[in-house]
Amino acid sequence: MTCAEFQKVLPYIIETGGSEEEESHLASCPVCSDLVQDLRYIAEQAKLLLPMREPSPQVWDNIQDSLEREGLVKTGRSKGKILGL
Amino acid sequence: MSEAEAIDRAKGGDAECFELLYGLHKRRVYSLCLRMVGNTAEAEDLTQEAFLQLYRKIATFRGESAFSTWLHRLAVNVVLMHLRKKGLPEVSLEEAMEPQQEDGPKKDIGARDNVLAGSIDRVNLERAIESLPPGYRIIFVLHDIEGYEHNEIAEMMGCSIGNSKSQLHKARMKLRDLLKTSRAEKAATRR
Repeated sequence: MTCAEFQKVLPYIIETGGSEEEESHLASCPVCSDLVQDLRYIAEQAKLLLPMREPSPQVWDNIQDSLEREGLVKTGRSKGKILGL
Repeated sequence: MSEAEAIDRAKGGDAECFELLYGLHKRRVYSLCLRMVGNTAEAEDLTQEAFLQLYRKIATFRGESAFSTWLHRLAVNVVLMHLRKKGLPEVSLEEAMEPQQEDGPKKDIGARDNVLAGSIDRVNLERAIESLPPGYRIIFVLHDIEGYEHNEIAEMMGCSIGNSKSQLHKARMKLRDLLKTSRAEKAATRR
């Protein structure tokens, strides 16, 4: 199996594993092995990304306005402070 | 108050409980929207719409899945609907593929380079994700960051599982290129 052949099927086998021939190529080819290592590393690092950003306070203000307009809330407008947070 | 209690009260229209739920989930919803559309103004509009839909539909939440899962899926649908209205149907997501990645031998063949392991920091990864073409970015965010499976993505996007896998691979390859370039540029500035 050539590297071109291996890399053509790589999208479909990277998570589930390939045939014996494909796994054999991966085990013996440093270029494809490095490629797979990189792609898996990127996927692993992506899983660690945390929700880092917050929307501006205007978003909640707009939501409040809409909730009151649509009659989805029963009490009066709260003053925007998150309770206990 | 627990989240479950807040949900029950929000179903009854309790405004303070709506706010509590917003506070608990705003960051994750907003980050999802921002990563998928790459634009803060759009992401804020979509966050607003996602929570409004949540509050309109909260009475239908039965607790069969975790609340965060239910909200998350709702937010994803809001973003995808928005992208479709903008004129990004699934077929154009396929057309986001760069032609050279489909033709001829891959440029990695015969060329070994230093692996990325241990050299990515999260800031650079976030920046690289932001610079992905929209079609690649959506699939990457849904699969690698948000944890959806290919069969779920295929259903959401109206594409095949094979297409989802192919797009994800292209996204990761593009990120690999971007991250290696970034690493090389940093190394060059240190000299």
